[in-house]
Amino acid sequence: MSEFEFLPSATIGQYIPTGSVLHRMDPRAKIVGFGLMMLAITFSTSKIGVGIGLIAVIAGILLSRIPLKFALKGLLPPLPFMIIIAVLQFFFYPNPGTSIIFRLGPVVLSVAGILSGILIILRFFTLILAISLMSFVTSTSEMIHGLQKLLTPLNRIGIPTMDFVMVIQVTLRFIPFLAQSAERIAKAQASRGAEWGGKSKGLVSRVRQIIPLIIPLFTTSLRRSETMALAMDARAYGFKANRTSMFEYTFNWRDALFILALLAIAATTLFAPKI
Amino acid sequence: MNPLIQVDHLVYRHPGSGEALAPALNDIHFKIDEGEFIALVGANGSGKTTLARHLNALLQPTSGKVLVRGMDTRDIASHPQIRANVGMVFQHPEDQIVATVVEEDVAFGPENLCRLPKVIREEVDQALELVNMSEQKRREPHLLSAGQMQRVALAGVLAMQPQCIIFDETTAMLDPAGRRDVLNRMADLNRMGITVIFITHFMEEVILGRRALLLDGGKLTFDGSPQALFSDAELITRSGLEQPAATRFYYRFPFLFPGIKSPTADFNQLLESIPVYEGTLKAPARPATAGTDNLPNEIEIRDLSHVYMEGTPLAQTALVNVSLDVKKNIPHGLVGATGSGKSTLLQHLNGLYRPQHGHMRVGQFDLTSADLDVKGLRRYAGLVFQNPELYFFEQYVGDEIAYGPRMMYGAEGLRERVRWAMELVGLDFEGFKDRITSTLSGGEMRKVALASTLAIRPSILVLDEPTAGLDPRSRRNLLGNLQQLQGEGVQILFSSHNMDDIAEMVQNLTVLSKGESLVTQPVYEAFTDRQMLLGAGLEQPTSVRLAQGLRYRGWPISPTSVTLRAIADEVTNLVDGGSDE
Repeated sequence: MSEFEFLPSATIGQYIPTGSVLHRMDPRAKIVGFGLMMLAITFSTSKIGVGIGLIAVIAGILLSRIPLKFALKGLLPPLPFMIIIAVLQFFFYPNPGTSIIFRLGPVVLSVAGILSGILIILRFFTLILAISLMSFVTSTSEMIHGLQKLLTPLNRIGIPTMDFVMVIQVTLRFIPFLAQSAERIAKAQASRGAEWGGKSKGLVSRVRQIIPLIIPLFTTSLRRSETMALAMDARAYGFKANRTSMFEYTFNWRDALFILALLAIAATTLFAPKI
Repeated sequence: MNPLIQVDHLVYRHPGSGEALAPALNDIHFKIDEGEFIALVGANGSGKTTLARHLNALLQPTSGKVLVRGMDTRDIASHPQIRANVGMVFQHPEDQIVATVVEEDVAFGPENLCRLPKVIREEVDQALELVNMSEQKRREPHLLSAGQMQRVALAGVLAMQPQCIIFDETTAMLDPAGRRDVLNRMADLNRMGITVIFITHFMEEVILGRRALLLDGGKLTFDGSPQALFSDAELITRSGLEQPAATRFYYRFPFLFPGIKSPTADFNQLLESIPVYEGTLKAPARPATAGTDNLPNEIEIRDLSHVYMEGTPLAQTALVNVSLDVKKNIPHGLVGATGSGKSTLLQHLNGLYRPQHGHMRVGQFDLTSADLDVKGLRRYAGLVFQNPELYFFEQYVGDEIAYGPRMMYGAEGLRERVRWAMELVGLDFEGFKDRITSTLSGGEMRKVALASTLAIRPSILVLDEPTAGLDPRSRRNLLGNLQQLQGEGVQILFSSHNMDDIAEMVQNLTVLSKGESLVTQPVYEAFTDRQMLLGAGLEQPTSVRLAQGLRYRGWPISPTSVTLRAIADEVTNLVDGGSDE
């Protein structure tokens, strides 16, 4: 990895078109289905339930034909935080119950605490994997179209959902823009003697490296957004409040089945017995 | 029949510019009929883009009128129709792509025009088919090459079914193959009945048009055929342009092309009309350029490979086992299609990338060694980026140029360093140091960029596409600067899509193709190998083709002559020598 690559290389938020059955699902079904799953995983208090959720998500990853190893890589960046939270949970669980392993003042290590810590890690793992899976199989544009369709009813009460969706779309388009601009400016400064190369020397010097990037990043972004606004104008944007869309999604039995299946899994996750 | 576009005494002042300044467009008057094929030319800053933007109502006249199919561009209600009629492809394709997926971007225009989903789908598929991008329709635009992005941008315009398309320097950033592709497409579209207006700095392209409009300082100074335009050498020079290479040669030696009436005739016709050489056959005078093989290597690269985002699904191979030597004090060129790895390679020389595999040495700096003095390397091999003016980060010219020397040498003698660098590129220190960078002309910005790197006093000057987007006059100035620097002992190493630049500037040439180094040869050898060049998405310079055409008819032109001047000198020599006997 070069020090000048700013395009996020995290696995979360990447669309990987493998053309699997999940990819071909109606985006509305995916948004609703994954939404249900995430709610269930978040609010389930049962380890078995969350475990079922995890199995379902892993099955989904296999079904989507994304290498499991690649998906699991997404767990690495937040891992330290999860471990800290789990350790806090181990030692400061409020209702330690009777099976206490040892006690030192306010610090209590109990079986209940350990179990609860494990549950939290499990829950975060499952959520992160579910979110990655959603992004693997749903392109940003599908997400936008799905949202657009789901939000259409709001038009009737006078909320301009079209503009809202366009804002999301252009914002997404600008992410690689920003990464690219930041890279070029950093290189331009480095090649003329700014301290970029070599080993990174801790947080302070890294922040100090970023500061001189910010203003040029602003000006180049403004310039580019001006050009883009012009290009949008040139292609007759804003002619009517409601644009049409090339995509017509038909919600078929497969999508209905998908939602029903996820609804069932979500229900099991949520209401599975506690141990 | 009504003209398609009518421009009626158009005057335009930039908002906020006072009456004292000359208007950006001054009393422009012409009309365009359906089916025309028009080249719009003029120096950087002459008002070409401003004029083009009036034609599809992106700008409105300060006074005068622009009518598109009889609709006044000042009437906002008719804007959607005007824009559906007159589409526009911009210079930087990445700035005009709105959506995150190719086909959705193409659908953007028709969606705005509220066409039906089925119709849009058809228009999008057709447009993508027309530009050969159907296979990429599901890809993300930022992962495409510049040429591909330009094609997507064109498809986005085509999908709106326009009657007229304006290409605003669409070819400026493309490699020869990409340029040929766009030019062929323009001609095809014109044959289909679409009116094409294109802005360009490549004089060879102007000949493709059937009509040329010339702007100079906001005034329309010529409206007629390209042939008529290029036969007026005085007007061309005054406007900051130049005649195409073949035309210049034609005017210098009309007797070489008997039977050719037009100076802008098809190049192949020109070559075929060359008469057989009848003078005495003397061995071509080999100029005393000894081989460069014995010179020491200033830069050595062995089996260099580079992969972007290695280890992710987005991994992209940029360089594969590249090996080359750059001889000390011999100007070196680097050519290759877009995506062949030129920029990646050049950025290695400056230490912005470290070799992932392989070895490289620049001067006494070994880039594979762990304790590389990066700053020292960057001082030794200065780098000027592609389109450097897009990344100016200081407001004033003086500060921009002072950035490098301040970082490298500190505040002492800073003023003198800046002055030295500015004078070297022909910028007056007092006159320019307090100018705001964004108000400079294209040629001036390029000079500032060059001075910014020169101010750190590099021994090697590495330039990435230094002439892209410049008008002929600025390009000539810049090449002159570089030649002067080379004369003063600065080693020049640069990449270009413009083969004529390379022919004029360098002695040795490395050809890259798909990340691999094909050959490193003296430039005359590399440019003789037409198959190799075409295979790499490149082309021969006009001058080399001309020399080959002459040789084919028995003219003893030395094999080492690659510039138009050298060839012209030899022809003069042969002709004069013949008349002496």
